[in-house]
Amino acid sequence: MSAWRHSITLRLALAFALLATLVFAALGTYLSRSADAHMAELDAHELLGKLALARHVGMHESSPGTLSARLSDALIGEHGVTVAVDGENGPIFRWPANQATGELAATTAKTGETPLRLTIDGHDFRVVAGALETGWGETARIVVARDIRHHTDFLDQMQRDFWLAVLAAALLTVVLGVLIARRGMDPVRDIAHTAGRISAGKLAERIPEQDVPPELAELVSAFNAMLARLEESFERLSDFSADLAHELRTPIHTLRMQTEVSLARPRGVDEYRDLMASNLEEYERLSRMIADMLFLAKAERGLVVPPREPVRLLELCRQLVDYYGILAESQQLELDGNELIVRGDRLMLQRALGNLLINAIQHTPATGRIGLSVCRQEGAAVVKVRNSGPQIPAAALRTLFDRFVRADQSGEGSGLGLAIARSIVLAHGGSIAASSTGEVTEFIITLPLTDGQADTCLAVPPGFGGQPHQDKGDST
Amino acid sequence: MKILIVEDEAKTGDYLKQGLSEAGFTADLVRNGVDGMHEGLSGQHDLLILDVNLPGLDGWQILKALRAAGRELPVLFLTARDQVEDRVKGLELGADDYLVKPFAFSELLARVRTLLRRGRVREAETLAVADLQLDVLKRRTTRAGKRIDLTAKEFALLELFLRRPGEVLSRSFIASQVWDMNFDSDTNVVEVAIRRLRAKVDDDFTPKLIHTLRGMGYVLEIR
Repeated sequence: MSAWRHSITLRLALAFALLATLVFAALGTYLSRSADAHMAELDAHELLGKLALARHVGMHESSPGTLSARLSDALIGEHGVTVAVDGENGPIFRWPANQATGELAATTAKTGETPLRLTIDGHDFRVVAGALETGWGETARIVVARDIRHHTDFLDQMQRDFWLAVLAAALLTVVLGVLIARRGMDPVRDIAHTAGRISAGKLAERIPEQDVPPELAELVSAFNAMLARLEESFERLSDFSADLAHELRTPIHTLRMQTEVSLARPRGVDEYRDLMASNLEEYERLSRMIADMLFLAKAERGLVVPPREPVRLLELCRQLVDYYGILAESQQLELDGNELIVRGDRLMLQRALGNLLINAIQHTPATGRIGLSVCRQEGAAVVKVRNSGPQIPAAALRTLFDRFVRADQSGEGSGLGLAIARSIVLAHGGSIAASSTGEVTEFIITLPLTDGQADTCLAVPPGFGGQPHQDKGDST
Repeated sequence: MKILIVEDEAKTGDYLKQGLSEAGFTADLVRNGVDGMHEGLSGQHDLLILDVNLPGLDGWQILKALRAAGRELPVLFLTARDQVEDRVKGLELGADDYLVKPFAFSELLARVRTLLRRGRVREAETLAVADLQLDVLKRRTTRAGKRIDLTAKEFALLELFLRRPGEVLSRSFIASQVWDMNFDSDTNVVEVAIRRLRAKVDDDFTPKLIHTLRGMGYVLEIR
């Protein structure tokens, strides 16, 4: 049963066989019908010929005795033909002169000149009957019959042979069908082989797309695309493990060095205090990094499910500007927009937007400007964080949201801020994109809104002289 | 003030006890759930610091049993897992506050003090240390009789210090109390804010009141 459900080869072969049987059977039925009809026509021709002959003879004979003699003469050598002539006073002629002929004559009282098929004593006959005008003025009744056993035997034999042929053809089709289907499935087997060869270390392998039949091309290209994605994520994961080890090694190395050096000889209390304070700072950084990593790991496994509480976005931004604005000592920091309420976790959104704002402040030159705006666009809440500053190259934009990526290689910060911002936004069902022109770098966060108000986003943001920036960055 | 610590991790327990003792509290330490429940039910402590993962009885069970027995002492629970469900569960079972490991000791101290103070002291309307005075209602600050203009946040920051003289306030605690920023970010916002506050209330005066404890945070006291 399971073989039937699962094997395409078997299913195809059986379907072929069924189809062949049906076609042969239809053909056979047609042929046998037409043979039958042909035989019937031949018989009718013969019977009517005999009838006409008997009538002709009967018209010219003047007594039943001479009629019988003439008819006997005329019928000599005929096999399988039965002729019976009955006058008003009983039988006149019987050929052959046996009981079956009498029975035949008796059972065909209603038969006319259209041939009929009858079965008497296990014999099949075709029969015609009619009036016979005799030369002595009596109207007799004549019955002419033909034993058609030869024909039926022939037809039966033909049908038997034919069904045997159909059976043989069906079996042959199954066998050939299996072979053909197997052959047809070869490319699938190739794909399976290739897939079987691929392991973590060989993710670069692909199935050659040019050798594949068009029906499978889609499957193969989807499969290759999947491999490409796997390869990329796997590489990122390997890189990430290496990065993580490196990121953890650096502070631990510092801790170890300074502790070892300090312990190498006796020191004053102040020096020890300094050492421990410095250690504490490193520990703090490590704790924060581990907490961030855990958060990201959870987010990537879909375990971060923000509660759906109303969060006031503009208020949140104002609070962030209040706090981080302290860092923007010489830069100009602006907030505009109107209040929008999204559903989510206030702390997480605070963290996501905070990370973007920190990022903007850190990358803005001393006399630059930073803008934060909240507005509605196409039924979604849009928060834009933009800052003036040097352009981020397109290649860097693509990996901006990856872990441990620092746009400026300064080594400042954990390199996790933007990755965390993205995870939080995605967990809220939103999207995040970055773009950068020569003058302005902009991060756009989109969060779903449930009410149905009108858009408030302006095509050109006020206060930023630059042209509108339409090039969207990596939004995955 | 007597604090009961239920913590099975040896070093953490020891340092919690030492830290709290040195901060002026009487601290008892037990290392498993059964003892923790027993001691907690004895009714001689003012506050309970409860680890969630414990051998024998876990923190949740102890908390439930205490509340069922009508013990209303404040409970601060410690958890290694920062799961929303954990937080919610703890608070629903009647815990008063929680901290996720690893945490800064100064943070713990600040929370402990808040919990012990809760509902006891009516908040004073004028605060003073040395010649620094703060009128909370009128939002006025003076030092050595001179009026000092502070922004709203600077005022809130100074008020926080004056309400907790002698307490070490960690950066994250300050950020959460003054700005309602509740995640740890690797920035020096608080440092800059404190520097600006000092410029207004400390720089031109003696004695200096706001001091930095490297790696720990800040403290307001007369030295």
